[in-house]
Amino acid sequence: MSYSVTVQTLIDQLGRLPGIGPKSAQRVALHLLKVPADDANRLARAITEAKEKVSVCPRCFNLSEDGAECAVCSDPRRDGTLICVVEEPSDIVAVERTQEFRGRYHVLQGAFSPIDGVGVDRLRVVELCDRIVAEGVEEVIIATNPNLEGEATATLVARYLAPHDVRITRIASGLPVGGDLEYADELTLGRALEGRRAVDAG
Amino acid sequence: MNVESVSLADFRSYPEARFTFTPGLTAVLGSNGRGKTNLLEAVGFMAGIGSLRGVPDEALVRSGTDAAVVRGEIAADDGRQFLVEIEIARTGRNRVLLNRQRVSRLRELAGALTVTVFSPDDLQLVKGSPAHRRRWLDEALVACHPARESVRADLDRILRQRNTALRQARGRISPDIAVTLDVWDAKLAAAGDQLRCLRRELLSGLVPRLAAAYAVVAGAATEISADYASSWGPEPLAEALAAARSDDVRRGVTTVGPHRDDVSFEIDGLAARTHASQGEQRSLALALRLAADGEVRARRSVKPVLLLDDVFSELDPGRAGALALALPDGQKILTSATGVPPGCSADQVLLLDGPARSPERP
Repeated sequence: MSYSVTVQTLIDQLGRLPGIGPKSAQRVALHLLKVPADDANRLARAITEAKEKVSVCPRCFNLSEDGAECAVCSDPRRDGTLICVVEEPSDIVAVERTQEFRGRYHVLQGAFSPIDGVGVDRLRVVELCDRIVAEGVEEVIIATNPNLEGEATATLVARYLAPHDVRITRIASGLPVGGDLEYADELTLGRALEGRRAVDAG
Repeated sequence: MNVESVSLADFRSYPEARFTFTPGLTAVLGSNGRGKTNLLEAVGFMAGIGSLRGVPDEALVRSGTDAAVVRGEIAADDGRQFLVEIEIARTGRNRVLLNRQRVSRLRELAGALTVTVFSPDDLQLVKGSPAHRRRWLDEALVACHPARESVRADLDRILRQRNTALRQARGRISPDIAVTLDVWDAKLAAAGDQLRCLRRELLSGLVPRLAAAYAVVAGAATEISADYASSWGPEPLAEALAAARSDDVRRGVTTVGPHRDDVSFEIDGLAARTHASQGEQRSLALALRLAADGEVRARRSVKPVLLLDDVFSELDPGRAGALALALPDGQKILTSATGVPPGCSADQVLLLDGPARSPERP
């Protein structure tokens, strides 16, 4: 026996989501059919509402609502001379958790990877350059992921920013705090040695 | 280092099996199709080198099942014990555990177990395409220094990125393509210069070992030379890439770099690939494996486990006997369909009998 067209369509749609294979899609679909209509409708409404209201911040390309600037860009207490460049909006959430950064952000909307179809034209680098001039930015911190594509993205951003009078920095990579030197992999430890710094005598 | 035991579940032809090994020489005997090579392949997998036969991982999972499990106990030379557990999924990522700790890449197992593999296909190292010789050199590089794997893996990935960008260019250098190539050229140049330098340094260390191993296997002192034939000149790779750019864009592939390099061997001044006899080529292939093994022993002061897959049957009695004598000490596991090879004394014989299992269908 196969599922009716209605059920199969639901399974197919769920199966198109990232990280959900055919088996999970089937499980989720059958679960949705089993729960009270209210519960399923809440999910449907949440999706519809999010798609209607959530937009991209016109300044930094973070997620925002109703076409307005995002919470960070519209916060006057933020330091406008400092921009942290990240790949995705989720990276902003990660940096915000540190509560160490009081500047603004710029979301590239991906990492430079021709294999995945992400070329120069898909990344928001030109928009970043425009902001440097328009907002009087003094320092750009490149916080792309410390993998091959993230490093290539950093190089790309640095090339675009080079003609501008702005300080370009890259976040450090190295050992996790509270970690154990003994268990660090050679690559990370090698990077940590490269990025060593002088110690204050106190 | 010694492999003490190997347990298999749904790996290749094995529904379930467990083997224990002596620290000396184990002869795995049985007629064709009994799973001798499959057993060696499982040991190779524990060393993080993937399939011995170069097949994709899903081919290692027994037909009709979703995942294979390889579990092995290894005693290191310094007395440490390692437990390696690998779940090979037909689809999706493999799960690799070392002493019950998850490791992200199979290659990280090289720190626990290093193997030197001798296979009947080794003749391709001499006769085959340059890719075989590059692979030999890179495998030796990683076996000598497991952390080097990242250089090789990065290079592969950078090349895929650059070649994709070249294809997307469709023969025309637009401003976007130019900046894309600038970025990936910089990455390729850094990784490529490093890999060429590492390969050359390794090769120069291997040459004396190669000549010594060849003399033993062939039974005669002979002059062996090895030359690293690079696809670009003495200049940094960045310059060679810049010079080749318009050509690369037109052809849609990267025409210079370590992926186009080769090693040429000469026996008594004559090119081994084209001028050596079949017997000389076999001796050289064995010498290449022995030399790499010797280098690993010298650099890391570990004794790799020797895996010899049906190697002796290809050799004439003289060479077979010489190879048996030339094998370095440490654990050895060999397979044979015709009994323990002459000149070898087995400390343990594993007889694989029972019904022949049909080979895995892809």
